[in-house]
Amino acid sequence: MRGFPVTPVLRLAFGLALAPLAWVGSAQAADQVTVMADACAGCHGTDGHSIGGMPGFSGKKADELKKVLHDFKSGAREATVMDRIAKAYSVQQLDAIADYFASRKK
Amino acid sequence: MTKISRRSFNALVGAAGALSLAGGLSACSSGPRVVVVGGGFGGATAAKYLKRYDPSLDVTLIDAQASHFTCPFSNTVIVGMNEMGYIERSFDKLNTLHGVKVFTDMVTAIDPATKVVKTAGGKTFEYDRLIVSPGIDFKWNAIEGYDEAASAVMPHAWKAGPQTLLLKKQLEAMPNGGLVVIAPPGNPFRCPPGPYERASLIASYIKRNKPKSKLLILDAKDAFAKDKLFKEGWEKMYDDIIEWVPAAKNGKVTKVNAKDGTVETDFEKFKPAVANIIPPQTAGQIAITAGLADKSGFCPVDPNTFESTLAKNVHVIGDAAIAGAMPKSGYSASSQAKVCAAAIVALFKGEKPLPLSAINTCYSLVAPDYGISVAAVFEVKDGKIASVANSGGVSPMGANYQFRKKEADFAVGWYQSICQDSWA
Repeated sequence: MRGFPVTPVLRLAFGLALAPLAWVGSAQAADQVTVMADACAGCHGTDGHSIGGMPGFSGKKADELKKVLHDFKSGAREATVMDRIAKAYSVQQLDAIADYFASRKK
Repeated sequence: MTKISRRSFNALVGAAGALSLAGGLSACSSGPRVVVVGGGFGGATAAKYLKRYDPSLDVTLIDAQASHFTCPFSNTVIVGMNEMGYIERSFDKLNTLHGVKVFTDMVTAIDPATKVVKTAGGKTFEYDRLIVSPGIDFKWNAIEGYDEAASAVMPHAWKAGPQTLLLKKQLEAMPNGGLVVIAPPGNPFRCPPGPYERASLIASYIKRNKPKSKLLILDAKDAFAKDKLFKEGWEKMYDDIIEWVPAAKNGKVTKVNAKDGTVETDFEKFKPAVANIIPPQTAGQIAITAGLADKSGFCPVDPNTFESTLAKNVHVIGDAAIAGAMPKSGYSASSQAKVCAAAIVALFKGEKPLPLSAINTCYSLVAPDYGISVAAVFEVKDGKIASVANSGGVSPMGANYQFRKKEADFAVGWYQSICQDSWA
């Protein structure tokens, strides 16, 4: 999964094939980071608003989340399951996921 | 309102009226129509995330039941840790918070040519794209004598609801010293570690309440999900209660007799007090009826969009879909639903759908305070859904009590979160 584009410039590349009669729709379409990050919501709640015993991301700063994710990936931080999950993403992808959740409404 | 096409819907209630039926949200559902069949983890998540990714979509969810009972945590209900209400999920918030139109009705026909869905209640729904998330159905008589009538005596309890309660009642009525048989099917089937979590929790119930009883797992396989971890826990806690008989040692159940209560393998005959027969499975019936399944009984799909390879504009997600390395689990279904929802929004806009990025995380309770997990992140490789290399896997072997207890607590947190993410 290291080849995933995470910058807006690269994301535009996916939008080039506009069909002539396409539905315009609303502004907030899902991009690659959204799709990647929303997969986390199953455990951590929609937008990271955990309602139970799972750590939530609500109110967390991006840098704080990035450090935690990097440490899960490297093994520096003790984990039960997040070490196994974080290893699947590049540092760049983990940063994009952290930025995504930090930008969600509290 | 027997025919709910967009035209008649608008004509009937008018533009302002549509808002109230859509739950009073400010977004007007004037965009393309998506109908979602099935309100489990897959269907509910798909409906919610479609509205999240594009609030202007006109999203309708149809489920045969008025609420959904989840299979995850149904094993805790069977052994009395939780009540049925704990695993019941209402569709109300999909409507009031997210503007999804919800109908309780059974979809009986899908016509991809005219893009119409028909229900047992006589309603007709038109769609621009359809998501089919029907879960599983059973191959009755694949085990000789095990048909739907037999399941009223020997419950499968592999769809949560009345079957869950039946198995719970049988367990409670079992005399101390009675034998429990669990017969898991061969692959593929819904929730691969599920039968073994069930065996674990029933053994924990036996240990506390019926110490003379035993539990026999008569397996159609020689290996199963998280098997080393389960066996480690069983040795520690249930060594004198659980016996697992693999297929290689003639564990496979070939015949049952619901009348005299016997369960047979090729070489032995048992008369358990409680027989939990989990038969081989197929995609949910509507997927078969609609011609969405191949010879395997499950539905081939595009790995990035979950669009059926057999019917245009029809997407199949969850247990019913053939999703490469993704197991048939609630988390998989929910994760696929988001990928599918994003793909549908992109397709409506004429954009190229994004590549799949999905997760499965699944906890099993070996005891109420002893949890284990499996996790994986998925991507598409060579046209198939595969787990990302050098990541994922199961909990470590030999972990201490604190670690297992923490995972048991996370199992509960996991359940609360995924239910919120899917239905609320």
